[in-house]
Amino acid sequence: MKEIINLTKLFINESLGFSLFFYNRKFNKKEYYKQLFTLIIVPVALIPAFFMYVSLMSATYFGLTMINQTSVFLSIGYIMATVLIIVFGVMYILSEFYFSDNMEELIPLPISPRKLIISKFLSILVFEYIFAAFIFLPILIIYGVGQGMGLFYVLLSFFVFVTIPVLPLSLMTALIMLIMQSTSLKGRKDMLQIIFVFIGIAVIFGVQIWFTSQLGNGDEADFQRIMNTLLTNNEGLLNMIGFAMPTSFLMAWALNKITLMSFVWVIALLGITFLACALMVAIGERVYIKSIVSGKIMKKGKRLSSDERSKALIKKSHGAMAVFTMDLRLLLRTPVYFFNNVSVVIIAPLCVWISFSFIQIPPEDLQGMQDFFREMPVLVNFLLIAFFIFFGGTSATTATTFSREGKASWLTRMIPVTAKDQIMGRTGVAILIQSLGILFTIIAVQSIFPLALSTLLLTIILGILGSLPILLFGLFMDMNRPLLNWDNPQKAIKNNMNVVITLFVGMAYTGLLIGVSGLLGYFVNSILGYGVFVLISAILSFVFYKVINERLESEFLNFES
Amino acid sequence: MLKLEQVSKTYGNKNEKAVDDVSFEVNAGEIFGFVGPNGAGKTTTIKMIVSLLAPNSGKIIINGIDNQENILEAKKQFSYVPDSPELFEKIKGLEYLKFMADVYQVPTAARQERIEKYLDIFEIKDAVNDPIGSFSHGMKQKLALVGALIHDPQVFILDEPMVGLDPKASFELKKIMRDHCDRGRSVFFSTHVLDVAEKICDRIAIIKKGKIIEVGTMAEIREKAGSQESLENIFLELTE
Repeated sequence: MKEIINLTKLFINESLGFSLFFYNRKFNKKEYYKQLFTLIIVPVALIPAFFMYVSLMSATYFGLTMINQTSVFLSIGYIMATVLIIVFGVMYILSEFYFSDNMEELIPLPISPRKLIISKFLSILVFEYIFAAFIFLPILIIYGVGQGMGLFYVLLSFFVFVTIPVLPLSLMTALIMLIMQSTSLKGRKDMLQIIFVFIGIAVIFGVQIWFTSQLGNGDEADFQRIMNTLLTNNEGLLNMIGFAMPTSFLMAWALNKITLMSFVWVIALLGITFLACALMVAIGERVYIKSIVSGKIMKKGKRLSSDERSKALIKKSHGAMAVFTMDLRLLLRTPVYFFNNVSVVIIAPLCVWISFSFIQIPPEDLQGMQDFFREMPVLVNFLLIAFFIFFGGTSATTATTFSREGKASWLTRMIPVTAKDQIMGRTGVAILIQSLGILFTIIAVQSIFPLALSTLLLTIILGILGSLPILLFGLFMDMNRPLLNWDNPQKAIKNNMNVVITLFVGMAYTGLLIGVSGLLGYFVNSILGYGVFVLISAILSFVFYKVINERLESEFLNFES
Repeated sequence: MLKLEQVSKTYGNKNEKAVDDVSFEVNAGEIFGFVGPNGAGKTTTIKMIVSLLAPNSGKIIINGIDNQENILEAKKQFSYVPDSPELFEKIKGLEYLKFMADVYQVPTAARQERIEKYLDIFEIKDAVNDPIGSFSHGMKQKLALVGALIHDPQVFILDEPMVGLDPKASFELKKIMRDHCDRGRSVFFSTHVLDVAEKICDRIAIIKKGKIIEVGTMAEIREKAGSQESLENIFLELTE
């Protein structure tokens, strides 16, 4: 047991960098304050989102009270939390079990596979409990307070909460281990990770589409009404989901009304959770280490002749193009980077397309929307521009550009490439990804709202121009505080505060920019609106460019100090 | 060719200097060895030379260019291979070499000729189209060496170059280093293999706790030490 606790501590420490944090507190104050700032700013930044979530859940609860359906509240929360834990947990499981470098050091040690598996699983659970606390605890509290529950409810809720991440993650880990051990997958682990991630997205979409189709035409419906429609028009809905997730019944039976049987159901829930854990460990013991040992083989390229090599080298590229190509290759070939930085440009337009495809817009509504567009092109144009800026602001491509290189960043810092070429190459990759998002969105929108070429050109140009300050701000952040010391690429993105800061600053900037120029364009003059937009974006871009250009070379010297 | 003038470096808020007032010069046509115990400041010194770290004080001049005043021009004068070359795992060997040739603006004919030559010497022709992640430590080192030699640098800087190389590659590298210097260029490298340093270096610097404690040819070092023993013995005496 002691060994498991020590290993778990080691994995958590490795993930969060506690040792480095305490070392920096003593010996490197500058780094220490940076890390401390991150530790404070993350929870603070999440407070508004958390309050919004709690308000939404409270509103849902009161909506259900009105139609006397509070009994499904806990089930909704349980199912939602479980689905989210599975979706986000897949990446954690893959990262901790299969993409972390620490197994190479641990396998030769006299530690049993069982202990390694349990410790790794526990280290994932710690994060998932924090996540579950944000998602599921408010549900338990709202229901408990609303129903005036007593001490037994608190006690039983605690046990239910204990099981909530364990059960889905145990089963998911077991499934991943079984798939990963297949010998036919040797050398294809990257592809496998992408497949898993997209399966996760497909599940979300499946649920989304299914829910959407249950809502019918959904005109002007607010969330409460949607929920009411869902529950009154489709009584079997939760039962159907419940059959896919049978433990939600146990949880509901245990907590909806506290009786003596509640204790039996909670014990049953604990028992099932324990069995799922035992199953995962048993499967892991048989396949995990074996698949790790055999799974390090990467797919090799074909042998090249001398002529083929010469041909590949013949085309000389400019410094900016060399940086661009290298950055793009890393982004596309590393699944974690691809998923975090690129997938949004596929998913968001897909959402638009799905919304248009599955929600049947009545012809009169469609006509009304098209009339609105014709009457107020300025507002619609600014809405489109805001959507296009969204791709630039959310991809975090520039905000992680140096961090993604990790320990190999010595190379890009050592080479004689000008700051200008570095900026152009790295920002160019972000613009390319953003442009793909714009292109996919236009394809998705064009079938419903055919846009004139002039509108397209205007919104595309302003969309890209408007996002430039965010992209350059991201680059500026990552230049100042790159996260290079990671052992698995997931951390370069997920543990990177530059992503969060750039996202929040980008959102605030976009809101202000679109707000000011949109209002000027609508109320005063459209040319003035566009002019102000161009002016603000251009000035900010210029300022960031100048600052980065001036400081990049000297900042490179600070990456390791 | 490479000149360090009173270079010092302190990490974080430690009082102890990692590199303390280091000065030496590497002349054209010279293989210069840099030896010292673990944690003596070898890698920190090298990182300051190759512009990965900023010195707190002092000057580093590479081929007449101050590497703090004109960083970019200074970078064009050298190439560097670290002790454990971390390269982009998802990139293929050939893509990496093309990247290096592009950023150093190596003409087409020269890049083709040099890459073929060094791939041949280090025997990694067959692996060059594979992702670097599939390379062994030694193969990564060989690839980094080929990448560093593409632009035929004025100063060739290596940190522990022999670690991980097989005997043949190690032999070839020593030949390349000598050939490089015979063409009027310089090689500056750190090593723990004192036999190698003794055999191939024209001059050697010994660093201990951030300070240079000895610089000179083997003959000069022996003379100062008052001993005709091997570098290994002198080194052990000086660093104890």
